[in-house]
Amino acid sequence: MIQLDRVSKEYPGGHQALKDVSFTLDQGEMAFVLGHSGAGKSTLFKLITMIERPSTGRIVVDGQELHHLKESKIPALRREIGVIFQDHKLLYDRTVFDNVALPLIVIGMPDDEIRKRVRAALGKVGLSGKERAMPQTLSGGEQQRVGIARAVINRPNILLADEPTGNLDTDLSREIIDIFSDFNQVGVTVLIATHDLQQVERLKKRTIHLANGEIVPIAQAEPEEQQ
Amino acid sequence: MKAYFVRHLQVLFATLGNMRRSPVASITTIVIIGISLLLPMILYITVKSGAQLTESWHGQPQMSVFLKPDLADNEATLIFDELRLHPKISLAEFVTPGQALEEFRAISGLEMELDFLDENPLPASIVILPITFAQNSNELSLLRDELVKIDGIDEIRLDLEWTDRFNSILGNINRAAQLLSALLAIALILITGNTIKLLIMNRQQEIEITKLVGGSNRFVRRPFLYFGALYGFLGALVTLFLLAIAASVLHEPLSELAQLYQQSSLIYQPSLREFGLLMLFSTSLGWCAARLSVAQHLGEIKPQ
Ligand SMILES: Nc1ncnc2c1ncn2[C@@H]1O[C@H](COP(=O)(O)OP(=O)(O)OP(=O)(O)O)[C@@H](O)[C@H]1O
Ligand SMILES: [Mg+2]
Repeated sequence: MIQLDRVSKEYPGGHQALKDVSFTLDQGEMAFVLGHSGAGKSTLFKLITMIERPSTGRIVVDGQELHHLKESKIPALRREIGVIFQDHKLLYDRTVFDNVALPLIVIGMPDDEIRKRVRAALGKVGLSGKERAMPQTLSGGEQQRVGIARAVINRPNILLADEPTGNLDTDLSREIIDIFSDFNQVGVTVLIATHDLQQVERLKKRTIHLANGEIVPIAQAEPEEQQ
Repeated sequence: MKAYFVRHLQVLFATLGNMRRSPVASITTIVIIGISLLLPMILYITVKSGAQLTESWHGQPQMSVFLKPDLADNEATLIFDELRLHPKISLAEFVTPGQALEEFRAISGLEMELDFLDENPLPASIVILPITFAQNSNELSLLRDELVKIDGIDEIRLDLEWTDRFNSILGNINRAAQLLSALLAIALILITGNTIKLLIMNRQQEIEITKLVGGSNRFVRRPFLYFGALYGFLGALVTLFLLAIAASVLHEPLSELAQLYQQSSLIYQPSLREFGLLMLFSTSLGWCAARLSVAQHLGEIKPQ
């Protein structure tokens, strides 16, 4: 469960990235965040994972008031949330296996359990047999899927995906969105930021429209989306 | 609990493996630590050797009573008898100029050179050993003041005086060594801390991503602490290695010298415990340096 209550974010330098944003995403719900470039989608995700802190307003994630969360509790929060980053955030000097295993290594899981889970996660995103590959040798879509495998490896309650289909072709985009849909079917709360109207329309899920940091009705957001 | 140690071991081995990724900085740091620790170690061994030497003298606070060079033999015998029978003197031994020269020849190793001397420049002397009761600095100086008034005695040298002076020099070296150790400890913390900072900067992205996927500060910090401790440990090994080289180079000349002084060994041989303490000291220094560096620089890395 994710709840935002009149959240604003002003970056140092004075740019107002989010203004008075409020919405609630229930446990097990799946939704898209639509918005032009610079609308504040990534900022929204950074607030939920406490990479950034809101200037005003409150955020509740899985019953935890983030405002009151101690610095030392941030790692535990991040383990509950699987994040697919817009820029992948992979370690390029490590193998695919090491990248996907990282969230399990940091919690000290035994090696054989890690091996089992990494194999299963890579199978799920269609990267079986790529364990020993280095990320640079993979295509953009494959790297994106390494990121997805890493995000789901720890079986999080919440998945946040920041433009997971960024520059993929339609077939691949569909495949990847379907992976998220599968996770949603088993009860995971999913929030996806995207430009990809085709996928949004196909799945008929809830959409939250952002324009210049504010939630707006569809009609106002769409002209900008179609540029 | 077992799993916990296994984890730590894994991180330790990973750390060792990771050193290959920044070998120059690592090796430089280790060598600097090794050389820096060598200096206080040498001073420590010097002080200990000196203490060992004075200890072997302390049992016998002798005095050397030098007679006037132009003294006739019978006068010398008179003085010798007077000293021998003195109530505060337990032992007196006459050293003729010839004996003195022999001894000097043996100690100095100047065989040939001394043969060229026409005349023996050394005076006759009497070595005396005070009775046990009088063997403290106070009594000894009283005794000397009394004896020096005897006609025909040129000079009295109190060996203890010399020992005292030697001991005070040793004390000064000891204090210098302690001060130096403290300063070097600070320098080592700065140097090691700086190398750790370099490692942290090199892994900025790795740290960032590890934090993003839920790695705790403790987890992120751990390998760097191992780096610090490992630097300290390996640095101390370098020190031991350098000491071993020095010992093997100096072994022969020193053992000859030791024979002259009838000492089994002139140089203090540090015990296993003392070597262990050195390793422990250096390792903890590295650990502390890493902790300080990590506290300072790891917080600066915030995921974007
Ligand atoms: N660290 C920052 N400091 C200052 N301004 C920032 C920072 N991060 C983002 N911004 C600004 O905040 C606004 C929203 O950025 P954000 O990354 O949330 O947009 P976005 O919707 O994810 O865009 P895109 O679709 O291009 O990824 C932008 O105008 C951006 O320039
Ligand atoms: Mg973005």
